[in-house]
Amino acid sequence: MKNHKFVILNPFRKMGNDTEDVIQKGEIGAVLARAGVGKTALLVQLALNALLRNKNVLHISLNDPVTKVSLWYKEVFNNLAEQNKVQAANQILESILPHRFIMTFKVEGFSVPKLEERLTDLTEQNIFLPDLVIIDGLPFNKDVRKSLSNLKALTQSHSMSAWFTVTTHRHEEPGTDEFPPQIQPIADLFEVIIQLKPEGKTILVFPLKGGSRALNQPPLIFDPSTMMMKENG
Amino acid sequence: MASNIEKVRNIGISAHIDAGKTTLTERILFYTQRIHTIHDVKGKDGVGATMDFMELEKERGITIASAATNIEWKNYEINIIDTPGHVDFTIEVERSLRVLDGAILVLCAVGGVQSQSITVDHQMARYHVPCLAFVNKCDRSGANPLRVIDQLKEKLGHNAVAMQIPIGLEGDLTGIIDLVTMKAVYFDGDHGEIIVQKEIPESLILEATQMREQLIDAAAMFSDELTEAALEDNVSEEILISGVRNGALKRELTPVFMGSAYKNKGIQPLLDAVTTYLPCPVEINNQALDMSNPDRLVTLTNLPDDPLVALAFKLEDGQYGQLTYIRVYQGILSRGTVAKNARSGKKVKFGRVVRMHADQMEDIENIPAGHIGALFGIDCASGDTFVTPGINLSMTSMFIPDPVISLAITPQNNKSQINMSKALSRFTKEDPTFKTYTDLETGDTIISGMGELHLEVYVERMRREYDAEVKTGRPRVAYRETISKREEFDYTHKKQTGGAGQFGRVTGYMEPIATEEFVFENQVKGGSIPTQFIPSCEKGFKKCLDKGPWMEFPVFGVKIVLIDGRFHSVDSSDMAFQSAARGAFLQAYLKASPEVHEPVMKVVVETPTEFQGTVMGSLNQRRGIIVSAQDEGTFSIIESQVPFSEMFGYATVLRSLTQGKAQFTMEFFNYKQVPQPIADDLAKNLKKEQK
Repeated sequence: MKNHKFVILNPFRKMGNDTEDVIQKGEIGAVLARAGVGKTALLVQLALNALLRNKNVLHISLNDPVTKVSLWYKEVFNNLAEQNKVQAANQILESILPHRFIMTFKVEGFSVPKLEERLTDLTEQNIFLPDLVIIDGLPFNKDVRKSLSNLKALTQSHSMSAWFTVTTHRHEEPGTDEFPPQIQPIADLFEVIIQLKPEGKTILVFPLKGGSRALNQPPLIFDPSTMMMKENG
Repeated sequence: MASNIEKVRNIGISAHIDAGKTTLTERILFYTQRIHTIHDVKGKDGVGATMDFMELEKERGITIASAATNIEWKNYEINIIDTPGHVDFTIEVERSLRVLDGAILVLCAVGGVQSQSITVDHQMARYHVPCLAFVNKCDRSGANPLRVIDQLKEKLGHNAVAMQIPIGLEGDLTGIIDLVTMKAVYFDGDHGEIIVQKEIPESLILEATQMREQLIDAAAMFSDELTEAALEDNVSEEILISGVRNGALKRELTPVFMGSAYKNKGIQPLLDAVTTYLPCPVEINNQALDMSNPDRLVTLTNLPDDPLVALAFKLEDGQYGQLTYIRVYQGILSRGTVAKNARSGKKVKFGRVVRMHADQMEDIENIPAGHIGALFGIDCASGDTFVTPGINLSMTSMFIPDPVISLAITPQNNKSQINMSKALSRFTKEDPTFKTYTDLETGDTIISGMGELHLEVYVERMRREYDAEVKTGRPRVAYRETISKREEFDYTHKKQTGGAGQFGRVTGYMEPIATEEFVFENQVKGGSIPTQFIPSCEKGFKKCLDKGPWMEFPVFGVKIVLIDGRFHSVDSSDMAFQSAARGAFLQAYLKASPEVHEPVMKVVVETPTEFQGTVMGSLNQRRGIIVSAQDEGTFSIIESQVPFSEMFGYATVLRSLTQGKAQFTMEFFNYKQVPQPIADDLAKNLKKEQK
């Protein structure tokens, strides 16, 4: 792979993480928001950030078909490239795409053993060795704890890190320590939990767990028009 | 010919390979009394389906050429173009779609939306062809038409809605329920030719009512009248039909029909649907290019009194000479009249005008606007436009991809030699993706095309139809060369061997350019090379591109900047500067780190999920990059990018890896650099061949 001058800044870097990766190998993180707020966009940014650092990203989508996921990457990348006035953006995108692998499942057909089987297929034949896994659309219902802990074990055994999207619902009141109810019983499994909350015309980014950002600093801002983290946030 | 243009339909039938479109066409011909017996594609009677009239097609069970045929159904005149299913023949599908006003997308009730269906659907979208879907093979085990409708929505983004539901499935398929009339339809008689309408069986009333609600909801988007009627719960058949039709014509609604062609179920309602929901020629906006002003598009009128505009979309070599399939867009094409070929400017007289039914024909007097017919004895290439002399229009040019594979062929004897050249000139006229040329160095005849099978079929046709025995060489991939860094040149060409001398000097640099094939920039100042010799230099450089100095592949993506030079008032000439440019190119090229690029194909494999790992492994072994894996439950779709050179014989490998259950399609994706070790191998092989 050629070296790029173009680096997509880690959208979470202002949360006070010293290293480039917000979560380390074997760790998992979650992005919480209501439907349509921008979870996928945020994670795609995170994935692009990793791809540009020569990491392999496995994107697992349980809702969208492959074409739609590719479109997400293209759109977010082009937006970022435009903002940063990058030359020859197309060539850069083309050179990083071989490091991305999209896997789609039907929600009802998805299970951890199945994913493990697929992963083994990929890794044993040396086809693809992911560093970062994005799992978009896993339903966080009552029995998610078991599959989530299995997934965590899987990330540890393959020394990967994984991000999940979690859809929250407006009508559900947050629990006592501010975790929305879906994630309350499983919050202990995640190293980092981030919540996106729309407020007026902007979206605020709150770290609920992990990250050492001082509490008295203003929250980061996520721009809903571009679905990008704002630079001056 | 019937003159009421509103009762004309020009339709195509396209589908994934083996979805059963030839069987379907066969049944349609039977019910419209064009044929009197039914032969199956790989039938035991050895006759083969009527539309697949080329012998080779009969043998392989695939449909190669699109045959146009004319049928009558309930006073409607329907022209059917049978389109090929294999991706190697995509150009034929595209050419057929160009002349269609509507299409039936045939899908397999078991396989659903397969990769080829996706390609075909893209093509339909490109030419804005309204379509309806027919879910075939509802009698097979594992058939699930409703799942296919979901796939139409998800994978192709169609707003698909069921117009029918099956009565029983798989072996129990007995008929269908029409959701518009709310009647059960059964097909009796030996060949399902007797239609019996009955009340809907009690067990299906609830489902039918629900599905009809969905249909009304979907169609209401396209008809205010229907929305009102739905609110008042008073939907008449006419209002519902007009709503569906409005949506279908805009390509915003895809009505889905179902049945089983093989079991003679659901074909007549499909024919009714063609006449009801697909557009007649005047409802389609066809445009032509104004040749005197290329940016201007002219909308064609479809009126018989206007000047003639007709497109030759398909050529065939028949027993009596060249048969040209033609679609008339405006005016009337009459026997004995004269028209101009818009491409060549030549005038032609239409001698014999015929209407085709697979390989039988019927002489007619004229082809009016909106109709499809065929001509005899006209010399033209496919894609040519015929117009009334005096007007200057051409139908828009069609998109033609570059060939990716070539093959040397040598005739076995003198007779074959003559027949081979006849065959080649015919094939290149028929098929724009098939090209042929002579390698100047070896003297070999080279044919090139879109894939292994594509070339194989033509070699086979040469053998059968032209009696030309040819030996084929190893298939060659269309590699390309380019440079990867900037390099300067300074070259003097000097010759003084009696008589007029030659002198020319050029300096400048070459650099890689990604977007274009070749760019020449002249920055010479102060006349150090006289202006009249600048084109000579460009010509000299350009000549080097055909055969790269490194691996002898064509050169792409080089920018030459000419900065300075010297000339001699007597000895400088066009030739001298061409030679100087050539010398300069050779001098700089090898220093500019040349690279070899190879065509990479987008390969999509559909496989039962249990073989997913194996298939991925096989693609990976072939230097493929796997882009995605889509898990659809029982089967998976793997998309990858694989160098074309690694794909030879993949069909066989895939079959043996998956017990014949997987299939793949491939199409050209882009050019990519060949990894160094493989480029070294290529160079080694090249040297060996030269010895």
